[in-house]
Amino acid sequence: MQNNPQQTARVGLFFLLGVALIWVAFETLSDGKVFKDKGYTIIAGFDNVRELKLGDEVRMAGVKVGSVEETRLTGRRAEAVLRIAPGVIIPNDANATILSAGLLGTNYIGVDLGTPGAPPLLAGAEIKTKITADINTIMAQLGDLGTKLDNALGSIGDAMKGKDGKPGLFQRLDTLLADNGGNITETMKNLKEVSGKLNSGEGTLGKLINDPKLHDELLAAVTDIKSAANNAKGFMTDAQAIVDQVKSGQGTLGTLIYNDEAGQNIKVVTKNLRDISDKLAKGEGTLGKLINDDVLYRDAQGTLKKVDRMVEGLADQGPISAVGVVANSLF
Amino acid sequence: MTSDSSTRSPFSEAQTPAVSVNIEGLSKNFGDLVVLRDITLKVESGEIFVLMGPSGSGKSVLLKHIVGLEQPTAGRVLVDNRDATDPATREQVRMALVFQAGALFNSLSVYDNLALYPRENRLASEDGIQEKVMRALQILSLEGKAQKFPSELSGGMKKRVAIARALVMEPQLMMYDEPTSELDPIMSATISEIIATLKDEYHVTTIVVSHDRDLALNIADRVGILMGGKLAAIAPPAELRASTDPRIQDFLNPRIDLKNPRFKHLET
Amino acid sequence: MKQLTNICAGIGSAVLLLGKSIGHAPTLLRQWPRFIEQCYLIGYTTLPIVAILSFFIGSVLALQAGYSMQSFGAKEFIGSLVGLSMARELGPVMVAILVAGRVGSAITAELASMKVYQEIDALETMNIPPSRILVLPRLAAVLVMMPVLTIIGDLVGWLGGAIVSKYTPFIALEPEKYFETLRRFMKFKDVLNGLEKAEVFGFFVVLVCCSIGLETRGGPREIGASVTRAVVVSLILILVLDYFVTKILI
Ligand SMILES: Nc1ncnc2c1ncn2[C@@H]1O[C@H](COP(=O)(O)OP(=O)(O)O)[C@@H](O)[C@H]1O
Ligand SMILES: [Mg+2]
Repeated sequence: MQNNPQQTARVGLFFLLGVALIWVAFETLSDGKVFKDKGYTIIAGFDNVRELKLGDEVRMAGVKVGSVEETRLTGRRAEAVLRIAPGVIIPNDANATILSAGLLGTNYIGVDLGTPGAPPLLAGAEIKTKITADINTIMAQLGDLGTKLDNALGSIGDAMKGKDGKPGLFQRLDTLLADNGGNITETMKNLKEVSGKLNSGEGTLGKLINDPKLHDELLAAVTDIKSAANNAKGFMTDAQAIVDQVKSGQGTLGTLIYNDEAGQNIKVVTKNLRDISDKLAKGEGTLGKLINDDVLYRDAQGTLKKVDRMVEGLADQGPISAVGVVANSLF
Repeated sequence: MTSDSSTRSPFSEAQTPAVSVNIEGLSKNFGDLVVLRDITLKVESGEIFVLMGPSGSGKSVLLKHIVGLEQPTAGRVLVDNRDATDPATREQVRMALVFQAGALFNSLSVYDNLALYPRENRLASEDGIQEKVMRALQILSLEGKAQKFPSELSGGMKKRVAIARALVMEPQLMMYDEPTSELDPIMSATISEIIATLKDEYHVTTIVVSHDRDLALNIADRVGILMGGKLAAIAPPAELRASTDPRIQDFLNPRIDLKNPRFKHLET
Repeated sequence: MKQLTNICAGIGSAVLLLGKSIGHAPTLLRQWPRFIEQCYLIGYTTLPIVAILSFFIGSVLALQAGYSMQSFGAKEFIGSLVGLSMARELGPVMVAILVAGRVGSAITAELASMKVYQEIDALETMNIPPSRILVLPRLAAVLVMMPVLTIIGDLVGWLGGAIVSKYTPFIALEPEKYFETLRRFMKFKDVLNGLEKAEVFGFFVVLVCCSIGLETRGGPREIGASVTRAVVVSLILILVLDYFVTKILI
């Protein structure tokens, strides 16, 4: 009872086919190794690879160019090994970011195009990475910013009040006014001109003041944070004290108003001031440009809008109070 | 060392003692149907025992008890003093049953049909098996049919192949279930000659179930007649012919009576 | 009541047959040609119908999935849907049903006719247990061939889904995308799961068909009755086993 050899061969072939297909299925479905033999790998280092899984896509400008082959921890950072399809060139100044896609919340690695002339990344090289706008990170950074602003404003306050026996800003101003009495009128005239420009909405500062939308946006921000503005009352109290000093003829400003000799000195200073304000009116110097030029205004407007958007999304009151203080003391 | 009480192998000079069969008080029911009733019978070693009886009287069932394919409802069957229902008996006593319809393996060639037993029981090398198979085919004049399949054979050839297959087992006990039914008279005679020759040459204990009078009366040492599940008679052929029992006489020499046909008053 | 005893008797004889066949397992190597022949009958000859049916099952799956998914723009997930359903469920069940219909029925018919025409009795008198030469090679062959048939069915089904997804106008999903999602949402474990299932189904289908064939009593008419019974019992068994095996594997 012998089998015919053809039958045996068919069964053998059939069995081998089955084994081969099972192997194919295994290779295909095990950890997305389909690109294993094709293309090259590059390494992307991150602080945190978050939800990134094996087999997740690598997309360059939105087009799939490879997949995540491995994620691993090397020392103090996480590394993702990216299998890039053959023929895809990634410039060495391109940035890789972890992004999330779709309603299923899967992640992918987005690579930007880099610059056209940059040399390509070679196999095994490391790609630059960017921290992504992860909302948690943004909040944390804004918190830091708030603390810094608080500190800065504290210093400003100190500078105005005077510290460690040195005269404060107002005291110096006091002295300045006392020394220059005569030219004040001229200065005022120039100032009036400047404020006229401001009023008619010319120049950056004018637009800042006269654009109602911008004003509303700022106002909204200000209203949100009124409580924080209370801090500014401290400054007002200080200023009140100085005014009282002036009225009672004490200090420089008092002397300026009630003393003739001091009036002579002030004339000189005021003349200087007039020179400055002339320049301002003509648009010379930085401040002059600020008053006379539109470009800066537009930049400022964009920045403010960004700030506004950021502020709206903020839960942390730290940075807001800082902004509030600044706004209140400026306007 | 040849003696009448030893079975000779058709393939070698080896001799094994011929076996006897003892049936003691055997009864068999299939559910409500009583087929065999209290049958007691001894087949001596080396004899040809022919069992006759009308169709449906339970002859085939009796044979199946001897080879252990059926379990007795009561009583027992001893082959060479071993219980037939014990699987070990089949290993120790070589029994061959030639089935009524041949029971050849339809998926195997004639050669493979014959070679199956020695192959599966690993009794010889492939060369030894081939020698044996060809010898058995030669004994039955079937040499040319080795590569044929059962479906390509005539009825008489199938019976001979079945006998050859039984022969390859070198049986100590050979049983035939209606070996000549469905065959023409010449072929029937041929089969009868084969059975007698095998018994004479190899001294195999032989039980033949048949209602072929010529076969029974010519080659049998003793004849038993089974009727309605009971043994109506056991006697050598000559005695049987002389019997005065009307049932036996009617069975052996049925007259065809068209005036008073039997089928008009058959028992139901 | 009588039916219940019949069922119990059937289970009993199948279990006994299984025990006897396993007892003969050491003879399998000796029966190599018989094993190869059964592999040929169970595996090779069943391949075309498995391939055709799997192809269309995969196609229909893709069509239905595409039709119902287009409304919420998730059609790129057709690949994973076809892939998972073929591998985990439809592949093994379908192959098992085909094996029951094509191989199981043939086994029962062959063994029943051997029984009716006393070939089985002849084997017994020749001291050759039918469980050894008739049942054991078939059980071994089905164990080897089921995974092969099933993996072919799986892959052909995936392919059918991919082709339909590409050329159906309202789906028009590129094969790359199709296989992309298929790969992304599938693990080899899913395929393996299906192969294990198929193994269980195939084994029990062949066992039951052998048992019913060998238990045939009576004449040629009973051969047909046995075949019908074997196929019906096999189909029921596949679906019942499917539930339990799935539960165990999940
Ligand atoms: N396995 C069985 N189950 C039920 N009845 C059977 C079985 N085998 C035989 N019979 C019955 O036993 C009786 C005797 O049958 P059998 O021995 O074949 O008759 P014969 O003497 O013609 O060979 C018949 O009526 C038959 O129907
Ligand atoms: Mg009979």
